[in-house]
Amino acid sequence: MTAAGEPSDAEVVAQVLAGDAEAFGVLIARYEGGLLRFAARMMGSRDAAADAVAEGLVRAYRHLGSCRDPARFRTWVYRIVANRCKSHLARRPVGDVSLDDAPPIAAPEHADEGVDRADQLERLERALAMLAPEKREAFVLKHLDGMSYEEMSAVTGARIPTLKMRVHRAREALLAALKEQS
Amino acid sequence: MKNELDPRIHRALDGELDPAALDAGERALVARLDALSRSLSAVPAGRSVAHRVMAAVRRPLATPIQRFRRWVTSPQPITVSLRPVYSLVIAVLLAALLWRTPEGPKPVLGAEEGVAQFVARFPEAHSVAVVGNFNDWRPGATPLSDDDHDGVWDARVILPAGQHEYMFVVDGERWVPDPMAGRYVDDDFGRQNAVLLVRPHRTQQ
Repeated sequence: MTAAGEPSDAEVVAQVLAGDAEAFGVLIARYEGGLLRFAARMMGSRDAAADAVAEGLVRAYRHLGSCRDPARFRTWVYRIVANRCKSHLARRPVGDVSLDDAPPIAAPEHADEGVDRADQLERLERALAMLAPEKREAFVLKHLDGMSYEEMSAVTGARIPTLKMRVHRAREALLAALKEQS
Repeated sequence: MKNELDPRIHRALDGELDPAALDAGERALVARLDALSRSLSAVPAGRSVAHRVMAAVRRPLATPIQRFRRWVTSPQPITVSLRPVYSLVIAVLLAALLWRTPEGPKPVLGAEEGVAQFVARFPEAHSVAVVGNFNDWRPGATPLSDDDHDGVWDARVILPAGQHEYMFVVDGERWVPDPMAGRYVDDDFGRQNAVLLVRPHRTQQ
């Protein structure tokens, strides 16, 4: 999705493949924020997320010629970064879920809601971090990145019914975490 | 499963069912789950990696010969299994060899290489590294050391002769241009890289 007057992803990809490496900066500016947020939720650490996104974007640039449908660059680059995240997570010792370095949550709009809401969000963050990576990935892509199940399928390679099941289980786990609190 | 939600709630959250078709309690639950999801999505994106990525993009790809040379010249892990008796013999031979060697080998500089010294004062830092076009802007590649803990960090690095752009990375996350550099260039992302000129080894002597 691009604003009026801006080149589409397919046009920018063609520009880069024609030799204009600097044009890749347009794609970075377009997707970096979403990728960093996605990776931060997947990894539980902003530093690890930055590494995964940087590695993924460099990999995307090096293999741009193999992007079969440049109009769907977004899902293609998400797939690369998702794989980098899973690869990093697989190398971590079992049970090593970084919570101390978890991404900060947004400040509440009203101060009187602050304490309860911060507590609730912290509990949610912990529950999200404790989910199996494939459930966390499905939930984050659906609710944080706002992807359709078709786009999620292109990113993860999983079938749509499988993805729905993962999102449903993730929602239920998060709701259970909140019920434990109350 | 105890916490299983009604499939209609999931369908409403997936946008496949109009929430108006639900009763008031179910609608409240959908709204609550929706609000929770939105609150989790409010994550600051964090530090930009555009600088790192574009530095790698601009760097020309190594040829197969260059990649082979790098593989040959970089340290590779080697695992050797020896019987105890052989280990003892080899240890004795190595000890004899080292005993006869008056000092360790000095680094050999090529004609088109020079030694660059990076020095910076960061009294509060726990780690400092230098990144530049010579190490692919990788923060862990070239650490500086502060052996006497006086806050002055330094490293000596053999680099190809010529002009190099660099920055310091403090505590793994803060990218700082060298305040002592004599020259800076814009990095196209609103910041400035310090510039270092390395003279060939022959002219340094």
